[in-house]
Amino acid sequence: MDLTLSADQEAVRDAIRDVLREHASSERLRDVIGSPEGFDARIWRTAAELGWLGLSLPETAGGAGYGLPEAMILFVELGRTLAPGPWLGTVLAAEVAGAGASANGRLAPLLAGRERIAIVDDPVDRLGSGKVLTGEVSGVIDGGGATAFLVLGSREVRWVAAAGVDVTSSHCIDPTRRMARARFERATADVLAGHAARLRARGTVLAAAEASGVAERAVEMSVEYAKVREQFGRPIGSFQAIKHRCADMAVRAEVARSAVTYAAVALDEGADDAALYVHVAKSLATDAALANTTDGIQNHGGIGYTWEADPHLYLKRARLLEHVFGTRTEHLDAIAAPWRDAR
Amino acid sequence: MELRFTADEEAFRSAARRWLEQNVPREKRPEIGDIRARRVYDMTWQRRMYDAGWAGINWPKEYGGRGATLMEQLVWYEEYARVGAPDVNTGFVGLKHAGPTLIACGSEEQKKFHLPKILAGDVVWCQGFSEPNAGSDLANLQTRAVVDGDDLVVTGQKIWTSFGQIAEWQELLVRTDPNAPKHKGITWVICPMGLPGMDVRPIKTLAGNQDFCEVFYDGVRVPLANVVGKVNDGWRVAMATLSFERGTAFMSEQVRLARHLDELIEVAGRVPGPSGRARAIDDDEIVRRLARAKAEVEAMRAMTYRSLSLAARTSMPGAEASMIRLFFSELIQRIDALAMEIIGQPGIASFAPDGSSHDPWGERYLTGLSQTIGGGTKEIQRNIIGERALGLPR
Repeated sequence: MDLTLSADQEAVRDAIRDVLREHASSERLRDVIGSPEGFDARIWRTAAELGWLGLSLPETAGGAGYGLPEAMILFVELGRTLAPGPWLGTVLAAEVAGAGASANGRLAPLLAGRERIAIVDDPVDRLGSGKVLTGEVSGVIDGGGATAFLVLGSREVRWVAAAGVDVTSSHCIDPTRRMARARFERATADVLAGHAARLRARGTVLAAAEASGVAERAVEMSVEYAKVREQFGRPIGSFQAIKHRCADMAVRAEVARSAVTYAAVALDEGADDAALYVHVAKSLATDAALANTTDGIQNHGGIGYTWEADPHLYLKRARLLEHVFGTRTEHLDAIAAPWRDAR
Repeated sequence: MELRFTADEEAFRSAARRWLEQNVPREKRPEIGDIRARRVYDMTWQRRMYDAGWAGINWPKEYGGRGATLMEQLVWYEEYARVGAPDVNTGFVGLKHAGPTLIACGSEEQKKFHLPKILAGDVVWCQGFSEPNAGSDLANLQTRAVVDGDDLVVTGQKIWTSFGQIAEWQELLVRTDPNAPKHKGITWVICPMGLPGMDVRPIKTLAGNQDFCEVFYDGVRVPLANVVGKVNDGWRVAMATLSFERGTAFMSEQVRLARHLDELIEVAGRVPGPSGRARAIDDDEIVRRLARAKAEVEAMRAMTYRSLSLAARTSMPGAEASMIRLFFSELIQRIDALAMEIIGQPGIASFAPDGSSHDPWGERYLTGLSQTIGGGTKEIQRNIIGERALGLPR
């Protein structure tokens, strides 16, 4: 048993972190916020070139040959920097796009960054099942610029080209991202070989990883600020009201990171408790992200309330992540479901 | 990263499980108020483990311990708690504190004399660290010891001395140089209990038990040979203790908490709920608080695994230990309080004249209040995390 990063995994993390330091700086984020699309083609291209979109794919399929834990490392870093882009949809699509008879040479362009995939999570098949989809969904994150939609139904995973979908993009609470309403009217889909539940579990862990990155970075920002900001002739971090709040934030981030790590490794190994840990990770990581970013704004005082400073961007990303693959309440209910059903 | 244990570790797990299942005490531990009966119970169990070679799981083999690896210790504590084996209780100071200190800093003579007795359950130790004016600020301790011939002559007062009334030995911190900076003039000494000039007075806790005492010293003569480390080097000795456990001992408390929570979930499926609900578990708020507690208990296990993996590599405990400690202590209190709500009126109805509860949940609820005080208050834990882990200024 070992839940620390191996030397190789540390190298993966450091490489990702270096790239994001340049490509997902606060200034670059501001550019994305001001852009109509909410997308940064330069980060996306770089990520594709570096193989991030296929981290957890076998090398024979054009991937990097890693597993879910390495994808988790990527998403923690994405959360730490708020790097915008349709990461989750594209990475998940890459996991299933290459498999099965309907692959159609879909994988190569995906890994090359020429596709941008948005997820439609439809666990109760509101859009129907099989090769034809009808219905309307709102709140599709990164749906505006998507080239295709990955629809996760109760069992099926389907690929729907954006050309056949009526998409209306709009702003949402997170100014670095866009949301869309997507109307499917007898849209044709390719049914992929993947299992929706498996992909949903993996996606949930990656969303939780991103949230844990948000939670982690929020602690660092508060601590950095509390060390330099002085009032009453002392750094505010010397006051227990601030120091203890930072300690609580650090504990939450550590709890989140531990749960996410366990979940990623458990899923990868097919452990018995993997399903439980998916819910644990998503509920606690989202919780940590929201609580830490809220506290983060408070720790920054008046500056924290401005548009100019970054803390609000982290809070807003946390709010967005709450709605990716289930809210905290939904995951708690999933944990409790067997207790009620058993009787 | 991996969750799997090695084949050797799994073999160790099977052996531990088999032995524990066959040997764990079937009889209930005596009531919380009867500390002497509890001692007999605890020491009998300790002796049984000792005879079978399971005592001192992390102690070196040369001192009679099992010498288990960090991962084997983790496995042992998981299995230990899984079968509901008794917590260490009256053996705590000897097994978890004084013993490890002697292993780290004691002389060969001290080790040879004391360690086997501790492991075999022959002796009980108590702690003489805190004083009325040295609690969170432990280094402020004022109990004086003056060197006189071959003795240290001790005068002063200690408090919160758990098991002081039944112990044979005490790990005692005294001030030997009042002029040195406060962390410098302290000495760690092995003090036999019951010496002339010593007075032990039990203190009753809010849970009705008398596990801890105050101890008064009036010219008590302790042989200089009992000093561990050097005179005036006691602070370093006291700190060395902390590096010994590396978070594994805590594992059994966690698994026990997980087991209690599962029991509570079952209870919630039996007892009536609020506002006429047939079962507590049918109430949305209760069930979500239970689910949240379940998530937190599982996350704590993950956090412990992560911290242990780190310790296995670096051999020193990081600030994660304080984080786990803080998280655990507040979580156990949340679960205890939730239990009182779920059980409802019966939970407050079953108490003895001495103030102790007949109900295990009532007992846990009350004794659990010490979790965020003993061994460093939650405020001190937050200071440690803030200052040592995050680098915030004092």
